[in-house]
Amino acid sequence: MHTFKNIYDKMTYKHKIFIILLLCSFVGSLIFVHNNYSFYEEPIAKVVKTNIVESTEIEDLNNNTDAVHVQHLVAELMNGKDKGTEIQLVNEFSDSKALDHKFEAGNELFIKIDEKIAAGSERTGTITGVKRDKYLVMIAWVFIFVLLLVGRRQGLLSIISLVVNAVILSYALDLYINNSERSLILICSISIILFTVISLLLVNGLNEKTYAAIIATLLGTFSSLLITYLALLVTGEHGLRYEELQFITRPYKTVFMAGLFIGSLGAVMDVAITMSSSIFGLYEKDNNISVKALIHSGMEIGKDIMGTMTNILFFAYVSGSIPMLILYFKNASPFGYTLSLNLSLELARALAGGIGIVLTIPIGLYTTIFFVNRKRARQ
Amino acid sequence: MNVLVLLAGILFLLMSLIGGRKGVRSFIALFLNFGVIIVTLFFMNVPDINSIILTMIACVAISCINLFYINEVNKKTKTAFISTMITTLILVVFISIITNNAMIQGFGEEETEEMGMFSFLIGIDFVKIAVSVIIMSTIGAITDAAMAIASPMREMQYHHPDISRKELFAFGLSIGRDILGTSTNTLFFAFFGAYLALLIWFKDLSYSLGEIVNSKIFSSEMITILCAAIGVTAVIPVTSWITAYFLVKNNSKDC
Repeated sequence: MHTFKNIYDKMTYKHKIFIILLLCSFVGSLIFVHNNYSFYEEPIAKVVKTNIVESTEIEDLNNNTDAVHVQHLVAELMNGKDKGTEIQLVNEFSDSKALDHKFEAGNELFIKIDEKIAAGSERTGTITGVKRDKYLVMIAWVFIFVLLLVGRRQGLLSIISLVVNAVILSYALDLYINNSERSLILICSISIILFTVISLLLVNGLNEKTYAAIIATLLGTFSSLLITYLALLVTGEHGLRYEELQFITRPYKTVFMAGLFIGSLGAVMDVAITMSSSIFGLYEKDNNISVKALIHSGMEIGKDIMGTMTNILFFAYVSGSIPMLILYFKNASPFGYTLSLNLSLELARALAGGIGIVLTIPIGLYTTIFFVNRKRARQ
Repeated sequence: MNVLVLLAGILFLLMSLIGGRKGVRSFIALFLNFGVIIVTLFFMNVPDINSIILTMIACVAISCINLFYINEVNKKTKTAFISTMITTLILVVFISIITNNAMIQGFGEEETEEMGMFSFLIGIDFVKIAVSVIIMSTIGAITDAAMAIASPMREMQYHHPDISRKELFAFGLSIGRDILGTSTNTLFFAFFGAYLALLIWFKDLSYSLGEIVNSKIFSSEMITILCAAIGVTAVIPVTSWITAYFLVKNNSKDC
């Protein structure tokens, strides 16, 4: 208790206000997501009792064994005019749960209430979905608290940067959808400039390091895009399986290119800022350091970060395909066909991002040296 | 010519030109990691094997490749390795709780519209697979952050051998805070790029906010992004503490 009081005494007025606001919105949002049933038009039911009435072992055409269970649920309606009344639901689920869910008491479901057949009979309904909003809000709060606790000011800035970038992205997509004659690539290019300037300024503040990193990021991203574009052109896109690009309502090639463009941006920014801050750091320690020494150290730093950075993108992209790959394998699809069908786009993204990362090392190095020389000339 | 072969060729050329021998090693590491994923996938197809444990084994192999193969076996990489493992363990527990409750496993109805000929009753527990996917998408970023903190801490201790454990820990945390913004950004944009098609889809089909938030696809993507960010943040204090503990303990023994 004593340490808590110490910490409390050390805090400034601004900090206290901030923490109080934070806790209020935390509690407020939790109360909201646990009681927001009336904001949904679809009926929501909370499971009260579950009962498995039937279990069947099943073997499919490819000799995979699974079990299918039928579950009777008693649930309570949480909204609408019949709020508080009980409803009977039937749920079918398998052990693998790839498409279905096993429900337990306390789960909240979106349902469709069946028309009553006869007066006096029990109310029944069909399950249409699971209410997930409260988990999303909870994990968002864990994210916010972990970032603030570990990162303090920088943590707060990264949260702000995420929110601002998400808003810009959403606005840019609205712009694209409402004016489809405008090119997605053009809109993306403008957003990329905005993303870069905003994120780097937030992460690093207004100084020459940031300016050098912004220029290096933009040069790096656009040159890697050019290389990727040329590579696609030269090979006639042979080997890319666009049919696996899901959720497509628009020309798929532009959507793919734009995604590739944005996807590598964060990694390129990371490399650019690492290069510029370390080279500026060396210069600040020793104002007379030669350009040759700076190039040498810069390349050494570049070699150190190159491997792990390319791996970040690789895992972020490829892991998402794991469930689909398993499904294909279990349905006896040939190995090579499954891999090329499900991984070609992800691998292309990871490789193009890698090219961006590696290119940004020399670009960032020379841009920063240009800024260092300019600073030197002024003094 | 295949696009992927050409892109891989360009990447190899650039890495070896700019990175020299270490660049070549980094490139080979990418392939080794790909190999680890394929082998892991192979074992995931066996229904009796717990895929979370399998993923942890894969994480050990991947961290070994990223830390010990690209760099070398020394104090820095060893502490980074231990920190990566501890953070991944904490993350597995956390993610398991979340995926179990939020029921984001498997495929959303939007994904499976054209897959009528597939059998989905394949006897593999997709809840565990969902946990594996989130861990695997973060492991690259976690090893990167662990290395980025352990390495300057070792330098600090080398230049100031009499630094106390507490000071070294504080130094690690401050390094961690500096890289926090860029590491989280790297992940955010990587996922934004990957989910761009999904976002356009939601907007084109004018889903309501409630429908988007509660849909399996959107919530699983959001949970992946947030867990990844939590992972790279959690590795900061873990690495600072482990590195400070090992470096300063070893130091006092020498005296």
